[in-house]
Amino acid sequence: MKIQRHDTDDVAVLRVSGKLMGGPDADAFLSVVRQALADGKRHLLVDLGAVSWINSTGLGILISSYTTVRKHEGLLKLLNVNRRIESILMTTKLNTYFESFQDEERALESFRAA
Amino acid sequence: MPGEIITFSFPSRLELLAVLDKMLEGLSEQLELDEETAAAVTISSIEAATNAIQHGHQRDPSKAVGMEFELERDQIEVRVRDLGPGFDPSLLEDPTDPVNLLRARGRGIHIMRSLMDEVIFEFQNGHGTLVRLRKRLPSHNGTPR
Repeated sequence: MKIQRHDTDDVAVLRVSGKLMGGPDADAFLSVVRQALADGKRHLLVDLGAVSWINSTGLGILISSYTTVRKHEGLLKLLNVNRRIESILMTTKLNTYFESFQDEERALESFRAA
Repeated sequence: MPGEIITFSFPSRLELLAVLDKMLEGLSEQLELDEETAAAVTISSIEAATNAIQHGHQRDPSKAVGMEFELERDQIEVRVRDLGPGFDPSLLEDPTDPVNLLRARGRGIHIMRSLMDEVIFEFQNGHGTLVRLRKRLPSHNGTPR
């Protein structure tokens, strides 16, 4: 898994690539999240467009990130979720927590409206 | 080839899941599994192996997780073995219950059951767990392979 961070206003966009499946990935991901919040970013947009699949540990990483961001009164949303990951989000009912977008501008706009 | 069994074992270290993932990628190509079947088998195998490492072996690298892959005419079966004490599946909490939704753990078996046709746990009197993951091949779901 690799993560690239791009900041826009008070949103940190995290572009993730590879497979989100825990192990050493968890610490790396949460470290980037905490650093973004420490740098004053309020919201996170996690771009999963280059993530081929995710397992339960990867979902745990997203949930831990979500709860961390919520504690800072921010929001975490997802971008470019593929059909396979969407299916796992639906079967675990986590789609009720993770708002998802296919268009980055619309996603960023949704934060401004929040 | 149908009837052949491919075996693989590795120390209980989470970072070796990446090796398992690569091995499954190659195996799926070799067996010419379609994309959805390959994804289901890969994700479920990694979930079962993760449980074996974390719960069965408490991440003790001196204990090996054993895996077997068997392609039959109409299905693929993955068997994952650990040496742990086992557990009572009836006591597992529903991860989709609203009170559990934001828990970071506890979804592995739910995901396995949603992706595979059969998930069977066999416990050996506190001395090991065998998980059987079965997936029917597309030609046996009503459409020609």
